[in-house]
Amino acid sequence: MALVPKVPDVLAEMAGQMVRAADPAMPDAESASGLGLSALLLGLAAEMFDKAAHLLFTENRAVRALLGQGARTIPDAAFAGRLRALSHGVDEDLRVSALQAQNGVLRAALIELHIAAEGADGPAARALETAIWEELVDSSERRKLAGSPV
Amino acid sequence: MTLEARLAAYIARRMPEAREVAVRDLARIAGGASRETYRFRLTWTGDGQARERKLILRRDPPASLIDTERRIEFEAYRAFHGSAVPVPEMLWLEEEDAALDHPFFVAEEIVGCQASPALLWAEPYLAVHDALGRAMWTILGEIARAEPEALGLDRVMPSVAADACWDRELSYWEGVLDADEAEPLPTTRAAIRWLRAHPPPPAQKVGVVHGDYRTGNFLFDEAGRIHGILDWEMAHLGDPLEDLGWSLNPVWTFGRAKAGGLVDRDAAIEVWESASGLRADPDALHWWELFNCVKGQAIWVSSARVWLDGGAREPIVVYPAWAMMNAQDRATLQVMGWL
Repeated sequence: MALVPKVPDVLAEMAGQMVRAADPAMPDAESASGLGLSALLLGLAAEMFDKAAHLLFTENRAVRALLGQGARTIPDAAFAGRLRALSHGVDEDLRVSALQAQNGVLRAALIELHIAAEGADGPAARALETAIWEELVDSSERRKLAGSPV
Repeated sequence: MTLEARLAAYIARRMPEAREVAVRDLARIAGGASRETYRFRLTWTGDGQARERKLILRRDPPASLIDTERRIEFEAYRAFHGSAVPVPEMLWLEEEDAALDHPFFVAEEIVGCQASPALLWAEPYLAVHDALGRAMWTILGEIARAEPEALGLDRVMPSVAADACWDRELSYWEGVLDADEAEPLPTTRAAIRWLRAHPPPPAQKVGVVHGDYRTGNFLFDEAGRIHGILDWEMAHLGDPLEDLGWSLNPVWTFGRAKAGGLVDRDAAIEVWESASGLRADPDALHWWELFNCVKGQAIWVSSARVWLDGGAREPIVVYPAWAMMNAQDRATLQVMGWL
């Protein structure tokens, strides 16, 4: 499940397209094609609507924990300080758009941390690397749609 | 003037001997994220007789999720027409905007077949999965066996050295991700780092790569025969293992745990090796399978970018981003052994 483009933007656009598809002047084949895909998107939006906030909240918490682990593992003091600051964040605004913005910041830091862990030596770095991969697997489970091919 | 009338006027200019040229029953076909696709009946009078032919119009949309070179696509179809690789006959390519607002080409419609993969998971097609799978990877092997020079495709497709195929493709799609991603992609970025750290051996040969060879991009019948390979818009020269890797991408299993949703993975590879005369070295193939997870993600990301930049506001550009990005992450994790 991806949340880009944003669900409200897509729903608003689809509403306009449905109005146009209802125009008797619209050719049947074109109207049917557009409506069929719009129906698919409505189904995906319905599935995402219920769980989007929960999964983003859960994921942000999990990534913050990893960044905290990274702050204790990575020798680069400046980077460790930035990781520590991010790990102390809290999601107070529970709108999906706000959670999503935080998610973007946290996952960008996770990529940096992953690179640092890959380049670091020692069992703590290996454990961190494994923990990051486990979170990436968990994230894909949280985001999995009912009709996912994988 | 309607699209029908403008298309008829264009074709009349391309068929100066024909009289009373008309386009009838023009209807858009669902899907087609990179081109708008229409079917229509062309009627005309020639040699004093009324004539008719079913044709396809593929027109560039105002914005596309894949940046492609339509001449390369057109020439790829034309090169394979009449060979062991079944493709529709190409008729006219128009690269200017004047005739129909955007570039387009017109091709024969292969009639009496199905294209939708959704049909494959029910009878009567369930019974012919083995035949379809064998046909699918035999034809892919034939594409790999083909010599670009003999087909004239070396004149339209950029050349690449056997040891540079992987870097050219990976750099291109990594560049697409850099330009188009709207959210960080930790799984895909980790895959790219792994790919760069573990390059594959040089290609056994530099061949024609279809670029989007998968279940869903061919026309099939109830007997398990394939009558047309479609969607050559990403065709290029490169390592034939690239196509094999894309065909085995877990997102194209349709949740059925079989290659292309059709046959066991080992059987697909065996058929491809037999038809191509090439070897699918397991390590090299693994590299290309993971690469294709990156490529897939880049395509889905580009789809979202089309919307975000105010290009096409069609459902077809939203669907890949919403439905496929996490599935592609899961495919990546699966290929890397984490899932």
